[in-house]
Order: sequence, then C-alpha cells, then structure tokens
Amino acid sequence: MTRSALLSIVAASLLASVAFAAVRPRYGGILRLTTGVAPVSVDPANSTIDTLATRNIYRLMFDTLVVLDTRGKPQPALATSWQAEPGDQRWHFQLRPGLTFQDGTAIGADAVAASLRAANASWKIFPTGNGMDIECQSPEPSLPAQLALPAYGIAKRTAAKLAASGAFAITRWDPGKKLTLTARDDYWRGRAFVDSIEIEMGKSSRDQMIALDLNQADVVEIPADQARRATAEGRHIANAGVDLLALVFSRDARSADESKLRDALAMGIDRSAINNGLLQAQGEPAGTLLPNWMTGYAFLFPAGLNLAGARRMRAETLAVSSWSLGYDSADPLSRIIAERIALNAHDAGLTLQLANSAPPDLRLQRLPLDSLEPHVAITRLAAKTGTLLPKLGDDSPSSLYAAEAALLQSKRIIPLLHVRNSLGLGADVRNWMSDRDGTWHLEDVWLGAEKP
Amino acid sequence: MSRTGPKAIYNPRIPLMPPLRSRLQRMAYATLCVLVFLSALHAQKWSGAQAQLAAKIITLTGPGTMALELINKSSLPRNESDEIRRGILTELASAGAQFVAAERAATAVKIYLSEDLTNYLWIAEVRQGAGEPAIAMVSLPRPDAPLSEHDAITTTIHKGLLWSQDNRILDVAVIDGNPSNMLVLDDSNVGVYRLQGVRWQQEQLLPVTHSKPWPRDVRGRLVLRKDHLFDVHLPGVYCKSTAGAPLTMSCYVSDDPWPLGTDQAVLSAFFAPSRNFFTGAVAPPLGAQNSVPAFYSAAFVPREKYTLWLFAAIYGQVHLVDGMRDQVAAKLGWGSDIATVHSTCGSGWQVLANTSSNAAIDTVQAFEFPDREAITASQAADFNGAMTALWPETSGTSAIAIVHNSESGKYDAFRLTIDCGR
Repeated sequence: MTRSALLSIVAASLLASVAFAAVRPRYGGILRLTTGVAPVSVDPANSTIDTLATRNIYRLMFDTLVVLDTRGKPQPALATSWQAEPGDQRWHFQLRPGLTFQDGTAIGADAVAASLRAANASWKIFPTGNGMDIECQSPEPSLPAQLALPAYGIAKRTAAKLAASGAFAITRWDPGKKLTLTARDDYWRGRAFVDSIEIEMGKSSRDQMIALDLNQADVVEIPADQARRATAEGRHIANAGVDLLALVFSRDARSADESKLRDALAMGIDRSAINNGLLQAQGEPAGTLLPNWMTGYAFLFPAGLNLAGARRMRAETLAVSSWSLGYDSADPLSRIIAERIALNAHDAGLTLQLANSAPPDLRLQRLPLDSLEPHVAITRLAAKTGTLLPKLGDDSPSSLYAAEAALLQSKRIIPLLHVRNSLGLGADVRNWMSDRDGTWHLEDVWLGAEKP
Repeated sequence: MSRTGPKAIYNPRIPLMPPLRSRLQRMAYATLCVLVFLSALHAQKWSGAQAQLAAKIITLTGPGTMALELINKSSLPRNESDEIRRGILTELASAGAQFVAAERAATAVKIYLSEDLTNYLWIAEVRQGAGEPAIAMVSLPRPDAPLSEHDAITTTIHKGLLWSQDNRILDVAVIDGNPSNMLVLDDSNVGVYRLQGVRWQQEQLLPVTHSKPWPRDVRGRLVLRKDHLFDVHLPGVYCKSTAGAPLTMSCYVSDDPWPLGTDQAVLSAFFAPSRNFFTGAVAPPLGAQNSVPAFYSAAFVPREKYTLWLFAAIYGQVHLVDGMRDQVAAKLGWGSDIATVHSTCGSGWQVLANTSSNAAIDTVQAFEFPDREAITASQAADFNGAMTALWPETSGTSAIAIVHNSESGKYDAFRLTIDCGR
C-alpha cells in the first residue's frame, strides 16, 4: 500500500470517528445490521464460520481477558494483569473483581476457566482465588494476545443457553436467521449507547443494499467489487479491516518439480489486474500473508507479474501440471477471480480446472486477519489453511520474518491480495470506528436521527 | 560629495571589553557547541541499532567491497534517514567494508528503513552473486506521535491552556489567589495543583470512590463552595471536600441534582445516572415549569425581571424557557454543549456554544440574545479535536472547555474568557 493511500485511509477513519464531534453521543435506538453469513451457533468456542461479521458479533456478547490496542499490544479487559513464568509456558492472569454475566452470576475464576477449557482443551487451567494459571503445551510468548481473539470470549454455558459477559446480552436467537442483543446497564466499561442491536443473517448482497437504501438496515456488508460504485452513488462506506486472498494447496509439494510448478503459478498470476479490474482497486497485491503495515518487511517478497519467469520455471520441469481449483461457489466474485487465475496459469503453461465437486488440489480462499498482533495473526492463518507454521522462536520481528519466509517456502500457500472489507452505513450512524484488523466498536456507535 | 556635518568621533575601546568580533566568535562558538551537542545526542539515539545492523551485515559479507543503497520506507523524515545512513556507513567502514560502485562491488547491500505497528524495522538485503539474497534485520521501538505544542491563541474568545493529561478530564476549577490552586477532575481522582512560577505542581490526588461502572461518555462537574472547598458531581455519585487542611474528600451514592448555574443564576437539574444527559427535572422550578425536555447542557441570559434559560436538548434542538413558555429556537447549528460567560463586552452576557461540524475540529462561538434570536458575538475559536465538556466556572466570568486533542491523544483543559474589542 502506498503511503498516500494509507494516509487517506487513516484520515478517512479518523474523520469517521470524529464526525459530528460537536454533538454529544446520544443514547437509545436500535442498530440494525445485516450479514451474508448464517451461523447456527453464537458460541465463540463452537464457531464453524469465521468471518469478519461473526468475529465482531462474538465480541458484542463475550468479553475476553485481554484486548489489543491499535498497535497490537495487549491491554487489560476481564483480566487486570498477567505474568509469565520463566519459559512462557505457564501464565498467571488476575481477574477484574465484581463482574457478572448477563444472568447476574459472577464472572469468577471457575467460570472463566470453564469457558477457556471449552475453547482450548489442550490448555491446563488452574483457578487460583481471584485469578488463574494457564499452562500451555509449549512456550506461548504471545498468549495474552492470543486470549484477545473472539474465540476466547468468556461465556457461561448451560444446557439451555449461553450467558454473555460483554456489553450486550442475548435476548433472542433464531439460529442462522436473526440475533437480538440488548445493551447491559451494568456493563463494566459503561452501557453502550444504543439500546439494542438486531442482526439479520443469511442476506444476499443485493438484499443488504436494498435494505440500506430503504432505511431498513443501518450497517450492511458491501462486496469489494461494489464498494467503489456504492461510494460514487453517495452511500457512506466505511473500511473494516483486510482479508487475505490466497491460493491454498491441499497438501505439500511432493517433488522439486512440483515446487517449481507452484513457483511458476505464483509468478504467473497478474495480481494487479485482478485488483484493478475485478476488485475495483479495493485491495493490494500481496507476496506475504501479513500486510506490510503489520510486519514492515512484506515489500521484500515480490507480488508483481513475472510471466517470463513463470514460463522459464515451467519449462525447467517436464512434470505435467493439471490442478483442480476450488472456490466459494456462493460468492460470484470468487468464481470470477478463479477464472482469471486459470487464464493466467494458462499463459504460464499451466493447467487449472475450476472444480467444486471433489476436494480440489488447491482452493481460492478469503481469510480474515484475526489479530493485530502479527505472531498471533500468522499462527491463525497457518492453522486455518492447514499448513505447518515453523515454531516462532520469540516475539521479535526477525523471528516472525523467518517463520513467514519458511511458511511461504513450503509452497502450500500463494498469497494473492490483501482485500479491504467495506461496510455501508446508514445516514443516522454516528461514531463508527473500526480497527485495522476489522474490529468494530459498536458499543461506541450511536444513532443521530432527529426527533420527529 | 563632501559632508558638512561634524566629523564622527568614536570612543576609544574600553580596555576590558572584548572586541565585537571576539564576542561574535564566542557566540558562534557557543551556538556551535550546542548544535554539536544536540547533534551528538540525536545521533546517539540510533547508534545502538546502527552498530547492530552493521555487525549483522559484516557477519554475512565479511570485510571487502560493497555497494550500499538505503531506501526509506518508514515515516522517518529525510534528515533522520540521512543520519542513520551516515552512522551505518561509519560502522561498516570501521569493520572493514569498502564502498565502491555497484559494478565493482563483491556485495550489493540494500538497507530498508521500514516500520510495523510498534517498531522501526531496519532490513539489510545482502546479495552476493546470483543466489537468493540474505536478510538481516534489527528492530527498535517506535515512539508514539510526538506531543504537539499548545499555545493559547488570543481571539475574541480567549482560550488559555490550563492542563493536559492522558486520562479524560471531566472538569477543572481554578481557585485564583496567590498562589493559585487548581482542581482537575477525571473519572478516578480529583487532582489538586498549586501554581509555582508558571507550572502547576501536583499537591494531592483525592480518589473518587464509586461502586457502579461509569456510563460511556462519563461527565462530571466541580463546583467551588464557600463553606468548604469544593463539591464533585458525577453520575450517581456526589463527593464533598473538607474546608481546609488536611484536604480530604468523601464520596456518596447520590441522585441529588447538579448545580447548573453560576454565582449569578442558580438552578439545579437531575442527571440520569447511567446516561450522559440531564433528565429535564429542574429545581427550583422555572416559574410554572419544573421540568424541561431532557438535555445535555444549559446556559442562561439574565433579563430585568426574569432569567431566560437555554437548554441544549438531547434531540438537537435548543429550548428557550422563561418560566412561562418553552420555545424551540430556530435551527442554530449548535452542538450539545453550551455555557454562559459574564463579561464586560456587549450586553455583558454571552452564551458560548460548540458548533456542529463534520470536521475533525470543534469550534466554540459566543452568542448574545437581545430577544429570542441568537446574534453572533464573536469569531469562532478552533480546537484541535473534539470537545468533551464545556462548563461555566463557578464565578461565571469564564468557562472550562475540555478537548480531546486529535494529535496528541491527550485531554486538554482550556479556560475560556471573552476579550472585548480584539
């Protein structure tokens, strides 16, 4: 991303956050969201759909022990402090006293331990009075940042239902269709400004856009290829984090020839054309999994088209390349991008067949960046793609670089683009803020409609 | 052309006075020393990382010829990147590197000055032959954005910076005297400061105790008292100080009304304890009215036989209440915060209002109400961020504005007064 583009995004975010600054935030009203995803569970430990929307929905209901600030540094939330024992394998967390779940029961050490065990069975968790010790299987220098992930949101699970620990209580849940949340008056960080949030699920992009235009929704998802047009048509569009678009192979390369073919494919894809043509410049060509603003080294990895290099690499091997390429069949944009990649591959002398029936050889995947902390973010990306991330030695930039370079060297993932997520906002939405990893702060949003 | 006037006569030089040239030389020398010292300090900032990166490069290349290029991809300014480049070159040279043109070099080294969310990242890409380049990197903490300078700008609304801090300031009260004292209220403490010279020195920190969480957009007010030093009003909490030394403060759960007026006009209003507004119930009643629409802030304009009260209601209108009627003012474009200031200008009573804006800068402007229409009484005073509070001071001659500075991220407290005729 160029510095000017970055500055303009920062300026736009800043502008969005302080718009109508002279007017004091107003309490009340219902914030209406729509999303294309339709999860059947809102239990963060039982998440089957991982999107920007689901992660933010979990955050509304379930607080985490730790939160990350805008620089990716852990800050206290349900935990007030933490300390690692030598070796970073066992950590002690001190809990904030006096907090309750939405049903009024205390958020004590036993409840938090039970919640975390449900999210990660490999941890050994020992409640200790007002805190707890967490023992990991191996050293985890980034454990506090890891605990800021929505998957580790603290929930009270009973046979009948879930009780929230966050800013909003669950008042109605119609799985896959609609979720209604109500602001908690006793929330420890102060009650949210809106009274409630209604989330309609499983809506197509077209239906969401119509709902926005008819003032039936306040926040809708805008597909990347429509963001520019929506802006031109006068809609208020907010950036909300980036996703990684990547090709993910189902297995490791089995020979040097196969590695070369994968290199040829990586070199032969015209990322800029995909970005400018198909994504309406809503992304940035990527040679790494993590964006440069997060790591500072991404520019070292080439992301430009190198067709001559791709053909040369292809010519160096006699192996036959015929791969099947899977994509998200529910996403029309995904199919168009997959088709363009197949054409690029053909130009490089490779054969890619679009296929969604059998498990494909490689898959076009859109992967959200889960964390602003780069070590956690890359670990999660590796886990989601089923690739083996080399052990991160420590939390230094050099260690991160070495791990990511080794991961890319494995040829399991070909990064394509970092694609910006866009949301359409209704005219009454005020104080919208989104972190660079796409975290929304809906508890600070308020509705500014004039009294009729 | 001949001069007809008296000849100029110069005094002989005073023996102990150094010659002018010599004084200039000394001044220049002193200036040079300061500059050299500052430059040395500046250079020291990077010296550790420069040496570290140079050592890593030399480990990869060994001593010998190299072509070196430095590319700045970070937010560091040009002069800093030049400084860093010089330092690295010096370190490399002292380790045996010889710098030559690219075509004669055994090694090509590209140094990138980059950054991530928290660090500066200096990366050396070392190429020897046609193989893959080797990478070396060092990181060093990247400071937050530097604090900006805040100078009081004199306009028709004079704003004097009183205090600046990281925690959200809710209100400030200045006790003028010799020396002056200042109270700073945030959501955890009342800070007690004494003016020493031109600096406020902290004397005490009185904790605010409360059992329930504060509402988002928490508000609070400090009121100076005659029988004791001050009161604090916070959502659902009332705190009272002692009268003298030792100064202490006790806080209680309370839904008592908050005083809104000043010494010149008395009115109290009930604050919604889990919200950011007043409910509209007021005491004493305003003539026949003992309630008004829920509002964020209030101001008043004294009339000969009554007081006109203005309420910035939560739905954006400004209500004018005189005890008989509740009239909605025509669209004023005001924000949520208003306050009255008594001055020697104009009618003597100005209403300060922050103005609705889509920009990142909030403004405050003074208005007068000769009748029911607002007349602009001053130019707008700009603030570098969003205004989070505007309260009249107890004396009524000034107001306190709290601004969340968009550059520094700190909360700045200003005292606003009206300057006539400027």
